[in-house]
Amino acid sequence: MNNEIIVRVYDIVGGPLCVSADDGQKVYDKIAPLLRDGQKVALSFFQVKTMISAFLNAAVGQLYSEFTEDQIRERILVKDIDPEDLELLKRVVDNAKVYFRNREKFDEAWKEEVGDEE
Amino acid sequence: MIHYLPTIRSNKDGFDHLAELAAETNELFNSRLEVDFSRCGFFEANMAAPLSAVLTRVAADRFNKIEIVNVPSPIQNILCKNRFLVTYGYERVSDVNQTALPLKRIQLSDDGLFAAYLSRYMNGKGIPRMTQAMDKRFRQSVFEIFQNSVIHSESLLGIFVCGQFYPQLQRLDLTVADAGIGIRNTVRRYLRQRISSVDAIKWAIEARNTTKTGPQPGGVGLKFLIDFIELNKGKIQIASRFGFFEYNNGAQKFSKLTADFPGTVVNLEVNTSDTSTYCLSSEISPENIF
Repeated sequence: MNNEIIVRVYDIVGGPLCVSADDGQKVYDKIAPLLRDGQKVALSFFQVKTMISAFLNAAVGQLYSEFTEDQIRERILVKDIDPEDLELLKRVVDNAKVYFRNREKFDEAWKEEVGDEE
Repeated sequence: MIHYLPTIRSNKDGFDHLAELAAETNELFNSRLEVDFSRCGFFEANMAAPLSAVLTRVAADRFNKIEIVNVPSPIQNILCKNRFLVTYGYERVSDVNQTALPLKRIQLSDDGLFAAYLSRYMNGKGIPRMTQAMDKRFRQSVFEIFQNSVIHSESLLGIFVCGQFYPQLQRLDLTVADAGIGIRNTVRRYLRQRISSVDAIKWAIEARNTTKTGPQPGGVGLKFLIDFIELNKGKIQIASRFGFFEYNNGAQKFSKLTADFPGTVVNLEVNTSDTSTYCLSSEISPENIF
């Protein structure tokens, strides 16, 4: 991938801990406009020590709500990531693909609680 | 009102007893609750988090004054070290061995404090040096649990955290409790079914199941956590409303609690001598991630 823009997660989150959905949203808000413009993005996890699924769901999984799998494959690469974290990212990505394929069903979710009796 | 607290261990009986305390005090309003420990033979330190969640509801939601009395000396020592009793007027006891992760109440909006808490107390000299891989997965797991609580619990009174290291057993317990709506209510809203608390927990721990409906997917965290516990040969317990789940040594156990625990508790017990590498799928490369 040539001429990609390097998005450094550490810089956006402000530290080595990527452990909240809110921080994941901040990363998403940086990546999504670049992808909309057709830019190529290198998502760097340099100096990130801990990340969790809620963060990755917001930062990366959410991209599948707007972009096709082909677009994401063509425009994003991941770098400077620990093998253990890569495994979690893979789970998040695979899960997101299924989540958005079934979106219609998920969106029918009922908002009302069904009683307080056990 | 006087409530005699029996022995509380980190098992189904222990959660039953805390749920019974919550049920018995459910109608108490603008009054006084005396929690009498004279019949308590043992209190497992990490259970201070769910006890605190129950008592905080009694005090803050229904304006009751709480007193804790007749605490046997060894139990008092443990619960002063982890600072549970300090909230109720007892003197703090210095944790010389630094094996306690003290009780801390964290508001949902202050979730950054949890990172500071872990950073401060996981580096205590009594906490064992785990392998780098183990330490990473442990921290990841507890952040998953905490963030789950932040996202789903709706706990207006915050989240209660504490932990304890048992050097002889090489086990570290960390417990996260909330005073929220419980897994059952969240799943009921989503499935439009009046399912039981136990069935709600069964549903929630299945891979890909999530009650999220917005643009941020979910359904990865709990399965990831249980996979870690399996490899680590640790233990996880979840108590939420009438439901109890335990995963220990490859065996899953679900049961119904005797009363309604008003919130959700996750207790993670890890084997600190674990030397696994936790890199499961060597075939995954950054090139084929998407």
